Amino acid sequence: MANLSVELCGVKFKNPVIAASGTYGFGREFDEIYDISKIGGLSTKGLTLEPRLGNPVPRIAEGPSVILNAVGLQNPGVEHFIKYDLPWLKEKGTVIIANVAGRTLEDYEGICNRLNGLVDMVELNISCPNVRAGGMALGIRPENIEEVTQITKKQLTKTPLIVKLSPNVESIATNAKAAERGGADCISLINTLTGMVIDIEKRKPIIANNTGGVSGAGIKPIAVRMVYEASHAVNIPVIGMGGIMTGEDAIEFMMAGATAVQVGTANFYDVNAMPKIINQMDEWLNKHGIKSVKEIIKTATLNG
Amino acid sequence: MKELIATVKSNNLIAENIYEITLTLPESVGYIRGGQFLNLAVGDKVHLLKRPLGIVKVEENDVTVCYQLKGEGTHIISEKKVGDKLSVLLPLGNGFVIPENVKNVAVIGGGVGVFPLISVLREHAGKINFNSYIGFRNKNAVCLLDELEKSNFLTVVTDDGSVGKKGNAVSAYFEDKNKVKPDLIIACGPPIMLKVLKQKLIESGDKTPCLVSLEERMGCGIGACLVCVCKTTSGGNTRVCKDGPVFDINEVEL
Repeated sequence: MANLSVELCGVKFKNPVIAASGTYGFGREFDEIYDISKIGGLSTKGLTLEPRLGNPVPRIAEGPSVILNAVGLQNPGVEHFIKYDLPWLKEKGTVIIANVAGRTLEDYEGICNRLNGLVDMVELNISCPNVRAGGMALGIRPENIEEVTQITKKQLTKTPLIVKLSPNVESIATNAKAAERGGADCISLINTLTGMVIDIEKRKPIIANNTGGVSGAGIKPIAVRMVYEASHAVNIPVIGMGGIMTGEDAIEFMMAGATAVQVGTANFYDVNAMPKIINQMDEWLNKHGIKSVKEIIKTATLNG
Repeated sequence: MKELIATVKSNNLIAENIYEITLTLPESVGYIRGGQFLNLAVGDKVHLLKRPLGIVKVEENDVTVCYQLKGEGTHIISEKKVGDKLSVLLPLGNGFVIPENVKNVAVIGGGVGVFPLISVLREHAGKINFNSYIGFRNKNAVCLLDELEKSNFLTVVTDDGSVGKKGNAVSAYFEDKNKVKPDLIIACGPPIMLKVLKQKLIESGDKTPCLVSLEERMGCGIGACLVCVCKTTSGGNTRVCKDGPVFDINEVEL
């Protein structure tokens, strides 16, 4: 058994495999299938101050090795989470990351104030491309990223802040630096790429929202490149994600510069994906005689 | 609920664009209620979403579902041969929970919506009196008549009159309903069929309890991703995969 534990901003993870926001709810459904204490951490469904109903259906479509979703931040609101889901999750022995979103800067400020000290980490969703009035604008321009990071960091006196970056931008390195300047303790990337699938019989997009966030195996090379660029531009730790389906994929992201990874779409492909990925990482490390997963972080070097 | 690697036992065309596939599971998944569904993998790394399909038949560890050829995924599944392996997640959803005192049920089914209703007929055969009203597009679409004949009384109609009377399942039921007087209606079919059923029940002041099974594009299939929601009449959302797919017709917007 290799040592799979990692540490991010002083928070200890038993392994570097974290459930990605929006694919795992608050963990209850997957806990009916396997004990979710097996996974390193869980980033919750995106939370907002008030409950939200989200977008009309259909909310999902498929492309080659990818899926597209436009759920639109349906969630029961942060108070419901604190009252009903958080106490249950705390019993589970996995790192709890609250993923948060808002329409305005005040929304972000308010929800971070409410969650300060209650969860292990907060992940700022400033890149969800689905809510017209919200996320997208804040996540694109470096000055907006810096501003929202500063404002939320001020509220999070007891809880480390992760800023989740959008890939739909001009320079991921510039945006990563903006989050770091704003005071982020960590960055995570990539959120989904914006895409569209058209039903050619109806001559209309399949997703009611027209566009959706593209995720899954097909986006992995883009994600690995961005994780490499971002992690080499900043001095804060990076959580990598985008199309991880296997233990080898997770290893690749860590070599690119990630200290931990998130797994999303793979949970739809195989409900047992996360425990399998953790086992596959262990097998790979054992096969290569590597005692601790920490030894592989940021070890990939570019061709001369 | 388990994710298992099943073996294809048979996979045959049974009507125009409709296939019936029987999967042998490596182990029992416990009791499967009529109207529950499974999530079937396409079996490659290109199609990441499983296909949700209503369970038609359960015989020991053999589970049968039917599917309509729609896109790439179902075409690939239709090419699976006996002995091929496919990942399957089951059983999913609530199914039709029929109260003990119910003895006389009207079954209204249209098109591919007929499939999950068959598992209900099989589950309660001999214990409940079923009056079934089943609509197909035309004679090429008619299938599974041997199963539908498990009903105590069966009316098959088609849009063009090529089999049975010309008409739809909902109208066929309403012609008969005063004679049949069911304790419960169960229905599954295209959205327009369920919408018309709801309208007609309201317009005629018919208070017969009615359960409908809904279909929606799904992600995880287990209630985590909130992709397949349906609006409730109380103004919220409900998850088709986890809270449904079967709902009281009065509790959902159709």
